[in-house]
Amino acid sequence: MVLALGALLLAAAVVLFVLQPLVGGQSSSLERSDDEMSETEALRRVRLLALRDVEYDFAAGKLDETDYRSLKRELSAEALEALESSMREARGQGSAGLEAEIAAVREAIGRGTVCSTCGHPNPTGSRFCSVCGSPLTAPSRESDAAERDALE
Amino acid sequence: MNVVGELALWIALPVAIWGMVFGFLGGRERRGDMVLSAERSVYVVFVLILMAALGVIDNFLADRFEYAYVANYSSLDLQTYFKVAGLWAGQTGSLLFWLLLLMFFSVLCVWQNRAKNREFMPWVVGILQGIATFFLVVLLFAGVNPFEKLGFTPVDGAGLNPQLQNYWMTIHPPTLYLGFTAFTIPFAFAMAALFNGRLDTRWIDVTRKWTLLSWFFLANGIIFGMRWAYEELGWGGYWFWDPVENASLLPWLTATAYLHSIQIQEKRGMLKVWNMGLVILTFLLTIFATFLTRSGLIDSVHSFAENTKIAFIFLSFMGSVLIAGTVLILWRLPKLQSENQIESFFSRESAFLFNNLILLAAAFAVLWGTLLPLISEAVTGDQISVGPPFFNRVNLPIGLVLLALMGIGPAIAWRRASGRNLKKNFLWPVVVGGATVAAFLVVGARHPMALATMGTSAFVMTIIVVEFWKGTSARARIGGENYATAFGQLVWRNRRRWGGYIVHVGVVLVFTAFAGKAWEVRIDQTLEPGETAEIPSPLGHTYSVTYDGMSTYQATPTQVQGNLAWQAQALLSVRIDGELVDRLTTEKRMYMAPQQAATEVGIHSVPLEDFYVILSDVADLQGAVAENDPEAQTATFTFLVNPLVGWIWAGGFVLTLGSLIALWPGTEVVRRSSESQGTTRTRSAQPEPAVAAD
Repeated sequence: MVLALGALLLAAAVVLFVLQPLVGGQSSSLERSDDEMSETEALRRVRLLALRDVEYDFAAGKLDETDYRSLKRELSAEALEALESSMREARGQGSAGLEAEIAAVREAIGRGTVCSTCGHPNPTGSRFCSVCGSPLTAPSRESDAAERDALE
Repeated sequence: MNVVGELALWIALPVAIWGMVFGFLGGRERRGDMVLSAERSVYVVFVLILMAALGVIDNFLADRFEYAYVANYSSLDLQTYFKVAGLWAGQTGSLLFWLLLLMFFSVLCVWQNRAKNREFMPWVVGILQGIATFFLVVLLFAGVNPFEKLGFTPVDGAGLNPQLQNYWMTIHPPTLYLGFTAFTIPFAFAMAALFNGRLDTRWIDVTRKWTLLSWFFLANGIIFGMRWAYEELGWGGYWFWDPVENASLLPWLTATAYLHSIQIQEKRGMLKVWNMGLVILTFLLTIFATFLTRSGLIDSVHSFAENTKIAFIFLSFMGSVLIAGTVLILWRLPKLQSENQIESFFSRESAFLFNNLILLAAAFAVLWGTLLPLISEAVTGDQISVGPPFFNRVNLPIGLVLLALMGIGPAIAWRRASGRNLKKNFLWPVVVGGATVAAFLVVGARHPMALATMGTSAFVMTIIVVEFWKGTSARARIGGENYATAFGQLVWRNRRRWGGYIVHVGVVLVFTAFAGKAWEVRIDQTLEPGETAEIPSPLGHTYSVTYDGMSTYQATPTQVQGNLAWQAQALLSVRIDGELVDRLTTEKRMYMAPQQAATEVGIHSVPLEDFYVILSDVADLQGAVAENDPEAQTATFTFLVNPLVGWIWAGGFVLTLGSLIALWPGTEVVRRSSESQGTTRTRSAQPEPAVAAD
């Protein structure tokens, strides 16, 4: 008797807990929350990381100078493209921040202040990366060669 | 508790079905209330299964032998520790335990994603509850209910197989099961991505750590199993290519392939269909492993035929998953096109692709060798035996190529690597590898496979060490840190990359240990008490082993020691150059319940080799044990010198360390960084370098 009552109570509690949202109108979200990456943002991240990898592979002596230059050109273009589509998306949401970011990256790529450790584009004239703290140097051929030699 | 436990199983079934149906329905109709209801059902099923599991443990602890499961796997005198472990000692309990772990991970996953990845969750919940439903159906309708009663109450149970009463055996199955069940989460997310059409790398980002967690548990589970076989089974080895062992290896092989190939998708947007295929295949293999080990199929098709229900349910489930997965992939094919192509044969991605093909070849060879005896028995009635020679012949070369790729991959660049750099990067590692082979040749080693493995291992280790050195010295130079700090920072800032390399070191150690098998020394010798055997070690010294005598025991009605019927224990002194290094015992024993013979081995371990002794025969067992006759103690021993076996266990530790580093929680890169949302800041949304993908 006690057992049957216990079983009934258990089953009732289960049913109540599971059915309550349907009856009580509670619901859970089915949308991506605003602070999560969208597909375009994820793409942008991947492109920037690819840029970082090329820097790393070059610094570690796995790429030669010619390949490094051409890959970097290609990947920078891709990264910019991703940033721009990310911007178009953000514009729809009324964000102006990305526009400034793209300008910064364009300038950074132009002037060579993309951090070679983490790939972060830094404002012109920066001496240290604002994300990882590594010193920033202009990518002159001499310093690249020196870096490479030091790593080998 | 026990009655409530059984009841809980019956209540869990409709709740799981509810969760499955409403998860899918809620996702399709976009009804948040249905999805919440489905999510709640996950918590409920977990609690119910936990109650059922506690009910089974309670039955064990209270010695309720009226339950068939308890009667078969326990006895009055079994230690409490092993009674608790009784939950996973046999088939029916294991299936319940599997479900409990699955629900534990499901709850973790639902809770973790209560406020994120919402676009995936309806389908994730639907799939998780679908799998739970399947296991509940098996438990309740396939004759494997752990609460099934005998109809009478035996005075005592049959007892737990004494060979399972061992520390390693207690933790080996749960570790493997954790590995099997953890992989369900990546599978559920992959399927959810196919359903909702968001097929970028998001689902991979979300589940990468789950995959690694599963991989880590599988690897450790396999190593624990080897350790158990080595210490407890008493035949001198650790791997026999037994179907049960193979079944655990299969998902590990495909999960390893998957862990590498997702990196190509993340970096280059390639191999999307391939990765989906690997997730489905790995999940199917985890189910297959459970099926193979827990259905009785492995002993013989015929004994297995007695329980066709369980086979029918398992095979239909696996078939449905395969068909549903294939249909979903075909449906989403337009969204699964590659964004890029491999640019050069000499690139990281082509090395990864090659590694994938090799791993799948290994998995296929193992699967074929495991199933062939069963297929042949089903078709012709005769069981063809596929033994270690087949597996070794096929898998040794495969393993060697895999080992080499482990060195080549990290040393070449993504996209393209130029010939000049390749030469420079590989020159020293190849020299070190060659020098290693030469050194082995000089000391007289001739076994080609072992030489190749040693050379390749040295090659890989050099590459890994150089990678670490380059990174550390660059950090030290640029940041002005000392080398220790630079090293720590290097690993910490990109845990995924360097943790992975540390795992590689562990794997190299394990492979080296396998190669050590080539120099195994095995000598059988019959000795009288007081006599000495000389066993040469491949390291040059000689073990002098003196058989000191035998100590015996036999249970009498007045004197019973535990579960032992009788025991014959040989005592041996081990000397090197006249100096005593260890005293070992090795014994033969017979248990009473269940009546079963066992051999206990003696092991003397040093870092480079194990001296391993087995009491293989006692000439006059009757005289030695029953009559305790000192003249009847002639014994035959098998002496083994097993080089490098300890390196497997050491490799396991290193692999664990590397996995933990890679698994260590960091800021997940699934969220936009806060700066990118501010309209006034101009900094980039670049993720933290510490968590950036390798």
